[in-house]
Amino acid sequence: MGQVMNNQLKAILEVLIFLSQEPLTLDKIKEVLGEVPEEDLQAALQALEVDFSQEGHGIQIVQAGGGYLFTTKPEHDQWVRRLLQIEKKTRLSIAGLETLSVIAYHQPVTQAEVSAIRGVDSTYSIKSLLQKKLIKIVGRKKAPGNPLVYRTSEKFLEYFGLNSLDDLPKEEEIAKILEEEKQTIS
Amino acid sequence: MEQENSDWPLRAEEVEDSQPAAGHGYQVKLEFFEGPLDLLLFLIRKKKIDINDIPMAVITRDYLDYLEKKDQINLDREAEFLFIASLLIYIKSQMLLPREQEALAEDDPRQQLVDRLLEFQKIKVASSLLREKEEVELQRWRRTFRPPLEKPDELELLEVSLFDLAETFFLIMKRRERENLRIIKGKDVSAEEKLKEITDYLEKNGSMDFLDYFSSQDSLEEALVSFFCLLELVKNHLIVAVQEELFQTIRVWLRKDKTHHQFHGPSHE
Repeated sequence: MGQVMNNQLKAILEVLIFLSQEPLTLDKIKEVLGEVPEEDLQAALQALEVDFSQEGHGIQIVQAGGGYLFTTKPEHDQWVRRLLQIEKKTRLSIAGLETLSVIAYHQPVTQAEVSAIRGVDSTYSIKSLLQKKLIKIVGRKKAPGNPLVYRTSEKFLEYFGLNSLDDLPKEEEIAKILEEEKQTIS
Repeated sequence: MEQENSDWPLRAEEVEDSQPAAGHGYQVKLEFFEGPLDLLLFLIRKKKIDINDIPMAVITRDYLDYLEKKDQINLDREAEFLFIASLLIYIKSQMLLPREQEALAEDDPRQQLVDRLLEFQKIKVASSLLREKEEVELQRWRRTFRPPLEKPDELELLEVSLFDLAETFFLIMKRRERENLRIIKGKDVSAEEKLKEITDYLEKNGSMDFLDYFSSQDSLEEALVSFFCLLELVKNHLIVAVQEELFQTIRVWLRKDKTHHQFHGPSHE
């Protein structure tokens, strides 16, 4: 594939990502483009990511929620907020975040299981996370009372900039932090 | 991270906020803990105790001291704190009881508590890592509007989840609640007929406003059946249900690629 073709492919991908309403998945790209060799596609996507990461671009391409999307770069946050007249974005509450972590690491999981791990009744937090669409109901557990079973949603991944659940902080990473803390305490 | 690590790493903010020039070290109020395990972990760290070998007498006393600082107990919130308090006392008493043989390692009455604390500790670290990611993501803005779309069957509005449908259902149930008390009708409504009625309507008219449809039903029973049919159709991916905002009406379309599916009449069963 020549340079011209390569640039053309890059331009098309840029358009697709720009117009896509959700993170643009590789499958969707293939569906639209038809027969493009996988390695050309990967090369073009990577080149595009590199292009936008250059200084002089305020917009970048990131992989999150299972696909590619455009976002602004974090360092321009204040300018966006000035334009939109937004003081500060709301963050999740500590209880909400804790509940979400339990669900992320223990899914599929019921309300009672989440509450047991946190040592705190989590009914309200779960309800609020459902309304934010960060978690979803995936069914009922075959146990007394048939309790609802929860999982994290696609939006959860997107919210935290994760591409898949594999990108969640790993067990070893957490153990390492705990070990470091132990060192500093003793 | 370095600085945060020093005292109560994952809650540095709250600790600072909680002592407005009071000056007596770590007098953190109960309200600042997310729950009893949070408090317990805090006490363990403060005393630099090895989590795998907790001196029950010491930690139980510290824990109860914290609870006693309260003048009155707010049962809603503090029941959970009291529950762990009773667990601590129970474990302490277990350890005081004389045993015939030396206890085996796995018989340690503290084990279950330790496991819970370890798990909770992991969750706290995971939460703080997710918080960092959230912080970055909140500064990355993305477009949220949708490009204009024309035909309804090409719409890719957010499909509603069963949860949203249920919320809306409760809303419309409330609207019909009163008539339920008055009208008694003997007519049986079959789900099959309702399914056919809905799919026929959709084939003919393209889409339907489900709230209108629901309200136009003769009886509550019929309305209920039609709602179950809607759920059934969504579950079987025969229709798309779309709601622009929670509690607004639900618009329903047949799925374009699924129109060949038969869902007509009892013969389907």
